[in-house]
Amino acid sequence: MTKKVLQFLAAAGATLLLFWALSIPLGPAPPLGPLLNPATGFWANARAAETNTNIKIPEKALSDSVHVYYDEKRIPHIFASNSEDLYFAQGYVTARDRLWQMEFQTHAAAGRLSEIIGERTLKYDRFQRRIGMIYAAEKARDAMLDDPQTASAVKSYSAGINAYIKQLNDGNYPLEYKILDHTPEQWTPLKTALLLKHMTYTLAGNNGDLRMSNTRAYFGDDFIDKVLDVQSDLTDPTIPKSKNWNFAPKKVEKPDSAFTPSVVKNVQPFQPDPRNGSNNWAVSGSKTASGYPILANDPHLNMTLPSIWYAVQLHGPDQNVMGATLPGAPGVIIGFNENIAWGTTNVGADVWDWYEIEFRDSTLAQYRYDGDWRSTQKRVEKIAVKGQETITDTVIYTHHGPVTQDFSGESIRSNVPKYHAMRWIAHKKSNELKYFFELNRADGYDDYRQALKHYESPAQNWVFADRNDIAITVAGAYPQKWDEQGRYIGDGSDPAYEWQGWIPFEQIPVIKNPERGFVSSANQEPVDNDYPYYLDDEFAPFERGRRINDRLAAMENITPKDMQQLQMDVYSYHAETALPILFNNLNTDTLSETAQQAHQRLQEWNLENKGEKIAPSIFHHWWDAFYNAVWNDEYGTTDLALQWPSRDQTVQIIKKDSTLQWIDDITTPQKETLAHLVNRSFQTAIEKLSQDYGSFGDGWKWGYVNETDIGHVGQVPGLGRVDVFTDGAGESVNAVRGSHGPSWRMVVQLGPEVKAWGIYPGGQSGNPGSKYYDNMIDEWVDGELNRLWFMRDQPAVSDSVAYSITLQ
Amino acid sequence: MILALLLALTAWLLSLILPWWSVFIPGLILGAILGKKGTGSFGWGFVGIGGLWLVQSLYVHLVSDGILTTRIADLFSLGSPFLVILITVLIGGLIGGLTTLTGYLFRSILSD
Repeated sequence: MTKKVLQFLAAAGATLLLFWALSIPLGPAPPLGPLLNPATGFWANARAAETNTNIKIPEKALSDSVHVYYDEKRIPHIFASNSEDLYFAQGYVTARDRLWQMEFQTHAAAGRLSEIIGERTLKYDRFQRRIGMIYAAEKARDAMLDDPQTASAVKSYSAGINAYIKQLNDGNYPLEYKILDHTPEQWTPLKTALLLKHMTYTLAGNNGDLRMSNTRAYFGDDFIDKVLDVQSDLTDPTIPKSKNWNFAPKKVEKPDSAFTPSVVKNVQPFQPDPRNGSNNWAVSGSKTASGYPILANDPHLNMTLPSIWYAVQLHGPDQNVMGATLPGAPGVIIGFNENIAWGTTNVGADVWDWYEIEFRDSTLAQYRYDGDWRSTQKRVEKIAVKGQETITDTVIYTHHGPVTQDFSGESIRSNVPKYHAMRWIAHKKSNELKYFFELNRADGYDDYRQALKHYESPAQNWVFADRNDIAITVAGAYPQKWDEQGRYIGDGSDPAYEWQGWIPFEQIPVIKNPERGFVSSANQEPVDNDYPYYLDDEFAPFERGRRINDRLAAMENITPKDMQQLQMDVYSYHAETALPILFNNLNTDTLSETAQQAHQRLQEWNLENKGEKIAPSIFHHWWDAFYNAVWNDEYGTTDLALQWPSRDQTVQIIKKDSTLQWIDDITTPQKETLAHLVNRSFQTAIEKLSQDYGSFGDGWKWGYVNETDIGHVGQVPGLGRVDVFTDGAGESVNAVRGSHGPSWRMVVQLGPEVKAWGIYPGGQSGNPGSKYYDNMIDEWVDGELNRLWFMRDQPAVSDSVAYSITLQ
Repeated sequence: MILALLLALTAWLLSLILPWWSVFIPGLILGAILGKKGTGSFGWGFVGIGGLWLVQSLYVHLVSDGILTTRIADLFSLGSPFLVILITVLIGGLIGGLTTLTGYLFRSILSD
């Protein structure tokens, strides 16, 4: 009897143990019971239902029914009889495909990743709080809700997302919720604002003040003059030099003497990717085969799965618009309607400045300003951490903006506290949704310009085309600055260092129908030196901008196919300017066999960054080694964070004077010459290639060496696409560099009927179990563009519609 | 054998209306009612739930061209998607075996 009891207890115990083991997270993995059971685990995500369905929306949230047609790429075409229903449906449909991505990205923007991931992301979350992301989003949300049109749009959009969330249950949560073991949260307009401010960080988050100040303190003004002020001869600004600035600029008060900030030991731990940028252009009817303008755009961002973009068509009572949207915000961001087309590239103006603040004492309650003491404000940020206690972080705000130190999380220390506060355009209350709202409905140039008045940040080169006109506006809210204001840390106590006003809208750089017959931008200098306001000192290297302009100038009878090919152009202006210097100094007598083969390949190279070629790998490795050989020794003499010159600056400097002092390697007793560095770096390059990619051969192909992985948004292994073999390089029009590149490619032909083509390296579905999660990557690699089906009316029963849903 | 089939059927029906842990229930009850021996209970229990999960996971795997199974295999650094199926089946089988055994042993105490 006891034996049976014991046996029973053993079995029951084992069962309970099993139940327990399957219910708790094991290390980073979620509980296995919920994850692996076929009914509600990941198995349930393997297929999406794709039949014509009527979806009942409860509580009369819709005033009429909405029809959504999915084409063969699973792009939804939404038809609604009123705007509220239209945006509601956009929210619902976007959530249906991309809910987890929307939630994760807005959690990241809000510095709330630790709620989902745990302690690992605490540093990141703290940083987001300290640069005032939620503060910025709250302002943006208020602005959205102040305007009745955008308020209605964003509320309807939120309601649509929440209607989708409401009908979810355990089994059909998107996969990542199951893997990361969390559940969906209600959507609010604040989240839409967070998404937009996150884009502002991505595109207008670059700031070099701290590094520049250190560099000036450490290397001196002379160095800055000779190195960091240099501009390549080949720079071709967005607004051509021929443009006359026919206005009297407003005067800006300069400070009497230059402020010398203290050296900064602790720079911010995160910066947006400097490669974030893009290409866009528009050609006028005088240069096209059809006689009507063509517009093209490819924004360059970190490529992820799901993609940052989601294609949609919106057909409502006062608009019919299609293009790329950002999951989390209503409207179309890059696209076209029946009359116009538009696209964007990043300007990269300096709209983030640092100020040195002298506090009265270690309480940080007051700081010096204009000869007096001013009070700070405190904002308490609570950061929830999965599996741990909530962390509290108190952020001090000056009237400039938040004091972002102390990054380490240690308590603020005493003795004379000097810290840095930031002033950032994102903190300014603005309603960019209004711009998109008006632009989506715009009929022509005047509407475009009118809409732009609402556009403040991030500063973007908005390119425009309709049947008659082409134009580009370097749009945004720009503080009126004196020359080089904000390039270095400013004096936070001196009013002369404030942003003294805004460049009037009519004085912001714009060009319409230039004589040369095209407009373009590729993140290079927006204007030539005669523009009377200071925008920034640092823009992208000249190569893409010049290449685009050279090609467009040379082309006639342009067709959309020509534009598609230009987007795929992989010519390297960087190689054109740098290789002669490298070749002229290379001693070929003593090269090893591998090095000789490599050298020969390079000599035969046509300067195209094609994945199939080996030469680009050799060139890029050689250049990287050479660049480091020139600058590492000087820059390596200190731990301070410094500003490095760009590649085209380096080429320009050496072209002008090959006997420069920086050629010499100061860590060695002898004096190196250019030839020394060139030869040594060639050696290094060959060694590194051999070490990483084996012996000279197919393993060295640029498509492998460029290492393009399209990773998952949440960096979950297995949910990305690795080893994408493609053409492209950072300096080419087709700007694929590593996992960074053209996240959307679009070409629009204007005319009596707008025709458009688009693609991105991903898929419409955010479900990793779906065929449509990454189905467009291969076509994108090949440079294909899909014809976008721009429906004028609801389609008849047709083969090309994969399925449809009706929301009622 | 009937035990296994009934286990599979009940587990499947319960999974339609209750969360994942409902898979623990059939074995406890049916093991008590139909279990004849210790090893038999465990064995048929294993086959019942393990078999159900095998059919379900294999179906999903095949019908979806294994897209997700392959990704989950990568996620857990497993060499093959079939290992994912195997682990699913083993877990299901273990649940079935242990619960049915426990059910049987409970009844065998009472029948004394």
